[in-house]
Amino acid sequence: MNIFLRELKANLKSLIIWSVIIFLLITIGTAKFSAFAGDPESLKLLDAVPEAMVEALNLRAFNLTTVIGFYGIMFIYFGLMGAIAAAMWGTDIISKEERDRTVEFSLVLPVSRSRVITAKALAALVNCAAFVLVTWVFSIIAVQTYTPDSSFYSFLALEMQAMFFIELIFLALGLLLGCAMQQYKLSGSAAVGIILVTYVMSVISGMQKNLDFLKYFTPFKYFDAGALFRDGAIDGAYLLLSAVIVVVCVAAAYWIYNKRDLYI
Amino acid sequence: MSATIYRHEFLARINSVLVWSVSAAAFLILVFSIYPGFADEAAMINEIWAKFPPELLAAFGMNKLNMTTVLGFYGFMLIFIQLFLAIQAGNYGFGLVSIEENELTADFLLTKPVSRSQVLLSKLLAALTSMFLTTLVVWAGTLVCMALYAGGREYDSSTLLLMMLSLPIFQIFFLGVGLVVSLLVKRVRSVTPYSLGLAFGSYVLAAFSGMLGDVKLELITPFKHFDPAYIVEHGALNTPLVLLNLAVTLVALAACYILYIRRDIPAVS
Repeated sequence: MNIFLRELKANLKSLIIWSVIIFLLITIGTAKFSAFAGDPESLKLLDAVPEAMVEALNLRAFNLTTVIGFYGIMFIYFGLMGAIAAAMWGTDIISKEERDRTVEFSLVLPVSRSRVITAKALAALVNCAAFVLVTWVFSIIAVQTYTPDSSFYSFLALEMQAMFFIELIFLALGLLLGCAMQQYKLSGSAAVGIILVTYVMSVISGMQKNLDFLKYFTPFKYFDAGALFRDGAIDGAYLLLSAVIVVVCVAAAYWIYNKRDLYI
Repeated sequence: MSATIYRHEFLARINSVLVWSVSAAAFLILVFSIYPGFADEAAMINEIWAKFPPELLAAFGMNKLNMTTVLGFYGFMLIFIQLFLAIQAGNYGFGLVSIEENELTADFLLTKPVSRSQVLLSKLLAALTSMFLTTLVVWAGTLVCMALYAGGREYDSSTLLLMMLSLPIFQIFFLGVGLVVSLLVKRVRSVTPYSLGLAFGSYVLAAFSGMLGDVKLELITPFKHFDPAYIVEHGALNTPLVLLNLAVTLVALAACYILYIRRDIPAVS
């Protein structure tokens, strides 16, 4: 419990910085969106396209003239932000002990290594949840001027759940890297590498049919705003895949950290 | 300049340079391998893409580039290469002098009979060499891509050269800004969050301004200063923005010099 509280306090500053960033992102976004809202020109374009096509290509999910469409686009950035924040929190919360040369101190406390990881992981988890809630609240406040209907709120709720799942995956990956890497400096770099590679994969996987298989390797594609909008739910198969990734990473993190030699 | 410091700094970074440059070049070549298929089905792909929501394409910088042409495709790839190099340069910039304080080696280094300006200069030159080596490998990767996959399709080589040459200026910007921020804050605990924030922050801003067609955001983000779409379209650099970029870099480097000379360095007790 003490470790948990200590970590929450230590990470508060980082959480505040990330909240400010997401606040700026949403503010800039909504300010620019006002130019598009209800623009009849763009709406006319949509009318010209056959209804079936609109459905198939998710045109409605990314139609910038509506608040929902605007948030379909914003979700790309929310996912990216959440992933970076969660991966950083995950690696840092474990590896900072070695960086700041406090690892000997924290591990001679009368708690097992597993307890230490549990407390730290929970603190990072609370941070992730808080980050999603902050995004959610800012979003609701920001769109008030456009008087969104209930379908927007349920779409937003779905997006926020998806953002939380993306965070969970990257948090678990980050924890694993923090626990597994012998050198604390490498864990951060490895996390950066994974974020970059998965993000790039999510962009190019849609470009060509035979690259489509890449979508299973990048968490950003598990939760696609277009699919969320169309189905009104998160795809169960991807949810299962995410759960497997999280469980495997966390289990491996515990297993490795319990028997690992420390870098002092 | 002190050759010893330069050599030490350079060797300390050699592994990182190797990983960054090889992965950037490999990524470039791997993704470029889908280009021939793209170009062969040019008409069909353009038709499909015309149906994509333009905002979504703009969010990834795909709307202004004709990806069925060699330069268009390369320009699209260049955005990601820029993101790679920005993170690397940010890492080097933020870590350049702060690492000594973190690893408690600052007082060792600064009690050597070498002036602080010499220390800073040697470190900067070593970082520049490391970055430039990465650029060289990326350039080589580009040439490989062109030789393997362009398949005799016409492209303007001077525009390609321009895109390649814009990379070093782009990198130095992130090095300079990273360095000055690391000197402005009291202590850089961990380099990665800073460099990720700087690189992804400016990337998202650039994507944002592309999506919403804004002009003012262009001024802040280097990804817009060296926008591949602009270079491909005009066959030239966006001179005012590049000059702005250079000015910011120069001011940052000058500020680094002043800040580092007068910096209060915590001693190890």
